[in-house]
Amino acid sequence: MTALPTISASAIHVSPFLYIDRTLANGLRAIVIPDRRVPSAAINVAYRVGGKDDPPGRSGFAHLFEHLMFKGTSRTAPETIDRLTEDIGGFNNAFTTEDITNYYEVIPSNHLERLLWAEADRLASLTVNDTNFATEREVVIGEYDQRILAEPYGLLDELVNREAYRVHPYRRGVIGSPAELNAAALEDVVAFHATYYRPDNAVVVVAGDCDVEETFGWIERYFGRIPTPPSPIPRVHVVEPPQTEERIFTHRAANAPLPALEEAYHIPEAAHPDAPALEVLEAVLGAGRSSRLYTSLVYERQLVTSAWAAADLREQPGLFGLRITCARGIALADARAALHEEVERVRSEPPSEVELERVRTQIASALVRARQTNNGVAMALARATTERGDPAVVNTDLEHYLAVSAADVQRVARTYLTLENRTTIEYLPA
Amino acid sequence: MNDGATAMPAPGPPRDAAIPQAVERTLDNGLRVVAFEQRNLPLIAAQLLVDCGGAAEREEEAGLSAMVAALLTQGTTRRSATEIAAAIDALGARLDAGSGYDASVVSVSATTPAFGQAFALLNEIVRAPAFVSREVERVRTKSLSDLSLTYANPNALARLVAYRVAYAGAPYGHPLAGTAATLASLERDRVAWFHERFYRPDDATLVIGGDLTLDEAFALAERELGGWHAPGSARCTVPDAAFPAARPRVVIVDKPESGRTALSVGRVTIPRRSPDYAAAVVANAVLSGYSGRINQEIRVKRGLSYSASTSLPARRLPALFSASTLIDHGRAVEATEVTLATLRSLVDAPARDDDLVSRKATVTGGFYRGIETIDGIASALAEHVLFDVPLDELSRFPARIAAVDAAVVRSFAARWLVEDLFVVLVGDASRFAGELAQTHDVRIIPGDGLDLGSPTLEAGALTAPRLIDRDAVG
Repeated sequence: MTALPTISASAIHVSPFLYIDRTLANGLRAIVIPDRRVPSAAINVAYRVGGKDDPPGRSGFAHLFEHLMFKGTSRTAPETIDRLTEDIGGFNNAFTTEDITNYYEVIPSNHLERLLWAEADRLASLTVNDTNFATEREVVIGEYDQRILAEPYGLLDELVNREAYRVHPYRRGVIGSPAELNAAALEDVVAFHATYYRPDNAVVVVAGDCDVEETFGWIERYFGRIPTPPSPIPRVHVVEPPQTEERIFTHRAANAPLPALEEAYHIPEAAHPDAPALEVLEAVLGAGRSSRLYTSLVYERQLVTSAWAAADLREQPGLFGLRITCARGIALADARAALHEEVERVRSEPPSEVELERVRTQIASALVRARQTNNGVAMALARATTERGDPAVVNTDLEHYLAVSAADVQRVARTYLTLENRTTIEYLPA
Repeated sequence: MNDGATAMPAPGPPRDAAIPQAVERTLDNGLRVVAFEQRNLPLIAAQLLVDCGGAAEREEEAGLSAMVAALLTQGTTRRSATEIAAAIDALGARLDAGSGYDASVVSVSATTPAFGQAFALLNEIVRAPAFVSREVERVRTKSLSDLSLTYANPNALARLVAYRVAYAGAPYGHPLAGTAATLASLERDRVAWFHERFYRPDDATLVIGGDLTLDEAFALAERELGGWHAPGSARCTVPDAAFPAARPRVVIVDKPESGRTALSVGRVTIPRRSPDYAAAVVANAVLSGYSGRINQEIRVKRGLSYSASTSLPARRLPALFSASTLIDHGRAVEATEVTLATLRSLVDAPARDDDLVSRKATVTGGFYRGIETIDGIASALAEHVLFDVPLDELSRFPARIAAVDAAVVRSFAARWLVEDLFVVLVGDASRFAGELAQTHDVRIIPGDGLDLGSPTLEAGALTAPRLIDRDAVG
């Protein structure tokens, strides 16, 4: 046995995000974080609308809408954002989660003003016609085909959400169903834009090569003139009732060559005080090849080829997932029994100080890596603001992780990893 | 409102971007060391490139170099697999090993205070792996499990079939991850043999850089790897098999159970060292990316798929160009014809110099974003090393791309991207094979009869590929 090399997490210098945070008169939140090292800048625009906000009978709509935001405005042709980014050496993309829709661009910094104009333009004056609406709907159904149908185990996330939630709209997932997407009409698009795409529902972050005051001046000039409707923004107030008994759902698929399963446990929202301890629990169980699940199930007992733990913290109460894929020739029951032993162990005794120090070092190292790109910095600030209500949490996260004790980890494991709180999806070969 | 805020503003004057400069030395044992400095964050990265990968494997040993690389992190003469994992995680570091066709790569990255110890672990796994039987068997089982996932994914399977169709029994033809048959037959001693012979300082390069001075980087390299000795045996060589001639044909793998049909169209083109490489990169950029012609035709205009792209990787030997997408079984014929027509458009409706401005900007912008992180800088330098491209070409890359004009792109496309293309389809053949057979030379392979271990894709099939000299291709 060779001595374990080690460093203290406190030896790793995690520099604070030095950002400026302002709110315009129309309610738009703007955050600027300058870094003039390279002549490039990232813009991140996040709207507080996601899969959970889909209209009734229109699951997948927020995500379909994300695609339509590239289809032109009263002043610009479809794909203008691509012309303004790709064509000058930048790039853009967008994604939708249960809670937010996020648009981002990385561009040579001399194009920053132009892209801020373009983001404001598509917030203010999106236009969609029947032709590009129909084409883009086909693309989204193609995305469903690619990610859900063609990908082995592609339906697993959808099944976890559908079974773990009974009343909360998180049960519908994000990508939705082709049938409900086909039922959507152009009027739905217009109504959705008017309801959620408004300055007081958006956060704009600029990170990279910029002058702070000049950038805020541009944001004021292009976004500041967009009016805020007087109506309140609809919010989801549905509360999922506590689960009282284990749920087990079995799915069989021709393209699932090996038995797999996910066990999901309800956990609180991302801003809850237990969130840091749940993330440390995730790391104890699943971060790296020395994590408990990997060591026990992959190395020592050789029951699974992959083992995964994730605290899926959302704006509203989320899920703690444990996922395994059996090794060839291994029965799911054996792998599941071993997984349950690990769940029981983390409930019955606190993690060791060595484990905790390992997790602290992993987390501090990950935070340093996340500072490498302007895009990563902008996204971290935008998500903290929309999902947890405050960009400042990016600068206090580390101290919260470091403050998590062994007893805290055991406490959240005992609180949330319970039988009656568990939903199991068995994903088996047909 | 008419205050000027509604009109699109013009861009400002551009600022020049800096490209990191690398410095090179060779240690007494023959190890090349390439170092760079990048001090904005407390992170350091290193990649050790071993000049031997999957292309050097014999057909019946497909997957050998991948298995060697996978086992490096799974135990040394001093530490078990779990002890290595514990050490790396305790440092918050990343340590990975893998093999490609042209090389095997071991990489490490860590925060500055952890890097010295993490780099010592890289040295330990490269020089003293144990290849204990238990881990060999575990990695074998994992590789077999992974294969079953790959075969269940039409995109991944189409890619493997495309390589076989293009290269048959030549290097790059066999799957890097091996097949069920080759994985079952790889012996522990053969794994150790490959490592002992081919992981050697006189056939390797260390790229190291980040938050340290160049002197510190060279000193670390010397401290850890200076005592590494080359064996007296022969170096790694790639079998000198001839490449099959490109010819138009359609190969269908019938997988009725796959959710969608995967399409891949392509042919063998040029190696990285070719003087046409910059032209190839620009021609590929005309086709690929969101605004590239393939995605415009397949996704944006027709909604046939969520994504469609092309690739033309950098390789030591002539590389496979391919266009790929995933479609509904019932639209496979349309997608095939649209893809072929779009490739032909490079000659029939060639990109003009004006069009190329934006596509070249895409290439150059991607290049600059790639070197935004220290891992990205290390990978870019490693690519130069691997393909014997002078390191100062890194800073010349934007100028090389800028120099490519429309005539060059058109002639490259005419030579390499339009004629003699194969088409591979993996999906429900009953939905499209008959229609395609009316206009193409179609071969259908039943899904359960597919053998990626055979140059002809079918066990027992004896059809020899037509051969031509490699020089005629390169």
